[in-house]
Amino acid sequence: MKMFSTASRLLMTATLALATISVNAQDKFRVCADPLNPPYSTKEQTGYENKIAALFAEQLGQELEYTWLPERIGFIRNTLKAENDNGEGFKCDVVMGVPAGYDLTDTSKPYFHSTYVLLIAKGRGWDDIKDSAQLANLPLERQEKLKIAMFDRGPGTEWLQKSGLLEQGIPYQSMTGDSEHNTAMQIEKDLRAQKIDMVILWGPMAGYVQSQAPKGSYIAIPMQSSPGLKFDFSIAMGLRQGDNKRKQQLNELIDKNLDKIQAIIASYDIAVLPIPADTGKKDDD
Amino acid sequence: MKKPVKNWLLASTVATLLAAPTVSTANDDLEKLTQNPANWASWGGDYAGTRYSKLSQINAQNVKNLQPAWSFSTGVLRGHEGGPLVVNGVLYIHTPFPNTVYAIDQKTKAVIWEFTPTMDADVTIPVMCCDTVNRGLAYGDGKIFLQQSDTVLTALDAKTGKRVWSVQNGDPKLGMTNTNAPLVVKDKVITGISGGEFGVRGFLAAYNIRTGQLEWKGYSMGPDKDTLLKPGKSTTWENGKVTPVGADSGTSTWKGDQWKIGGGTTWGWYSYDPKLNLVYYGSGNPSTWNPVQRPGDNKWSMSLWARDADTGEVKWVYQVTPHDEWDYDSINESVLVDQEVNGKMRKTMVHFDRNGFGYTLDRESGELLVAEKFDKAVNWASHVDMKSGRPIVVPEFSPEFHGEDVTTVGICPAALGAKNQQPVSYSPETGLFYISGNHICMNYEPFEVSYTAGQPYVGSTVSMMPPGVDVLTGKKDDSTNLGQFTAFDAKTGKIAWSNKEQFSVWSGSVATAGGVVFYGTLEGYLKAVDAKTGKELYKFKTPSGIIGNVNTWEYEGKQYVGVLSGIGGWAGIGIAAGLDDGTSATNSEGLGAVGAYRSLSSYTKLGGTLTVFALPN
Repeated sequence: MKMFSTASRLLMTATLALATISVNAQDKFRVCADPLNPPYSTKEQTGYENKIAALFAEQLGQELEYTWLPERIGFIRNTLKAENDNGEGFKCDVVMGVPAGYDLTDTSKPYFHSTYVLLIAKGRGWDDIKDSAQLANLPLERQEKLKIAMFDRGPGTEWLQKSGLLEQGIPYQSMTGDSEHNTAMQIEKDLRAQKIDMVILWGPMAGYVQSQAPKGSYIAIPMQSSPGLKFDFSIAMGLRQGDNKRKQQLNELIDKNLDKIQAIIASYDIAVLPIPADTGKKDDD
Repeated sequence: MKKPVKNWLLASTVATLLAAPTVSTANDDLEKLTQNPANWASWGGDYAGTRYSKLSQINAQNVKNLQPAWSFSTGVLRGHEGGPLVVNGVLYIHTPFPNTVYAIDQKTKAVIWEFTPTMDADVTIPVMCCDTVNRGLAYGDGKIFLQQSDTVLTALDAKTGKRVWSVQNGDPKLGMTNTNAPLVVKDKVITGISGGEFGVRGFLAAYNIRTGQLEWKGYSMGPDKDTLLKPGKSTTWENGKVTPVGADSGTSTWKGDQWKIGGGTTWGWYSYDPKLNLVYYGSGNPSTWNPVQRPGDNKWSMSLWARDADTGEVKWVYQVTPHDEWDYDSINESVLVDQEVNGKMRKTMVHFDRNGFGYTLDRESGELLVAEKFDKAVNWASHVDMKSGRPIVVPEFSPEFHGEDVTTVGICPAALGAKNQQPVSYSPETGLFYISGNHICMNYEPFEVSYTAGQPYVGSTVSMMPPGVDVLTGKKDDSTNLGQFTAFDAKTGKIAWSNKEQFSVWSGSVATAGGVVFYGTLEGYLKAVDAKTGKELYKFKTPSGIIGNVNTWEYEGKQYVGVLSGIGGWAGIGIAAGLDDGTSATNSEGLGAVGAYRSLSSYTKLGGTLTVFALPN
């Protein structure tokens, strides 16, 4: 398996470096990530962000080093912007996935673009649904049977409201306090347990849910953005403001590896759209 | 990567200094203690939360001679809210996470015992929003009660610091944390819950003071069996009269099951009227945060409550800000004083809300008596309609009215509120309330990409700025101050006087029979002002910014004033959390507070210290 060879080569690089000269912090590719946030990252490094980080570290000939922290309010401040306890440098230099133009970090150029997906469990009376608009136009007695998850602050909830379906929504928090369960895992569990039959879920998370069941268990309908309601977002890498050298390095690595990155993402069942040209931070400051 | 903080007890020979509780119920015990001004036995000094002391040794004439008498480092760097308790001569202080408690012998200034609970920092800290603050301890039945950050409520033997019992008040896995000071009432200890950012459904809970067993729990929203609202009995102010709430008022203004993640957390202060046997408090903002996604009044978020202390049953409830669009939590304290309003003596409850209005209600019936702005910069509502009890929202300052694609400029107050958690004080001599205030506005900029735990969505960015208008008149004066210290007459709703402060005043004040009011500033000054005129009489710069509450007590015939300094909290998070890298003008971390408070780091640095003041011998 490719991952294994990468890991062993990394190990060799690190060992060699140690043998010759003590490893300088500059020689490490240092990433902050959530230790349990599939499909993004896990401590076992099985997430797609882990794979992309490993790819970059390999190409740079650097050791990949992680600082782990559950991704909640204050994640960026406690990782990317937090100094090491010894006062030398920061806990990490890169957060592998943030939206392009995110204001808590500077961002690299986007490396993929995804959208929210209406994910429907098959065989529960909803197999005829072909697009989201159909849900809004169902006869009342069918609408009343809807068990659809909605997320605090997410665009899915706003869509439900605009479609007059808010009463049918089953509310979830978009952020969980549970460090042993992420939101995608919870939704997967509840879909399986038939607590909900469908959900409007961000692309990578929808991909994760699908990957946990036999192929064809779900209908996946990408949501279409409209002028008042945005479902699709570009994802970039987050770095400290002012770290321009690293930004250039990351942008070069993204350009060089776009095919490989897309292949990794595709292997996680994630719905991707072409990256629009105009995303990313406006360079007005 | 577990980093448990070790339980730590010190044996002590001076523990015998402490008097044993001899009175039959904790309630009598505590009432007796609070009636003796030598003690400062609860967060508010008394059950009414007046933060008034009958001590007068330090007065308006001699306060200029005040000196720091001694100080004590807490060893913790984060924001220090709350203040010292003094019970039978022993001084008790607490710290932010890891919530260390110290009992200190005032004679020797030595630690009698200390206690640090075992908490998992990796589990607790990521779910704490703004800073890892704690608002203080409670005393009763010979025990010190600590509401830990990780939701565990712990009872410690006041003499030895040994844990008597502890109980899990919430589930951190659901985003629940605690920052509040508990309140001992009769044979119960009352506490609430934090975690509005995680959609936690707020509640007030009462535990048996001896065993820690749950006695009752009343939620802020949900069916009547959860809220303990009695449809025909519990009342609210409506159509100009006190009216029964009707069945399931805690779900009827929500769509579907949204009340289940409805917010309304209870992280503020609780007060108690022993004669009416009612507990008073406020509930916080509704969840989800995006108001467009939760149509309706969202009852009973943003509300003031009166509950029966024995059963938790709701006597009355009043929603201050229906359908919140501005994050104006109503968790601020409720002060219980008897005042003459419109020519009639009333048992009143006075509450200064984040939303900028000072409310006076009849605390027995919930009748709305006065609702006026205590900072005339407040513009989101023109006034409160006294008949319906509802604020009349000004469309210009309603983000929802504008729609999500328009920036709403100059909303006053900002989300921090015209006043935040810092409790007011009240002097029965002047009849005035002393308000530690924010003087700050905000812009809502929509269509920013926000991100939560891997899910991008369109949110809004909040930036904050000084209003540049006068507190008393609301007229433009190009001022740049972010704080005010204001004296307010809650009988009439009129501002008596107001002093400008460079930064928000995040410290709870204390008023004394010496005609002096004390408060702290974010730069770290302890200040004394004349209770009648507001004239500054004394100031001293403590080692760090003050977000703690100033308390006063007597020991061996001498009056002392004490305050915890240690910058942090929402206003100070830029410093406390190391956010302020000075590279981004639009940095919105710390929920928008960083930009406006950037220059604070020129004035003060981190570090928790108790400073005790007295007149020279």
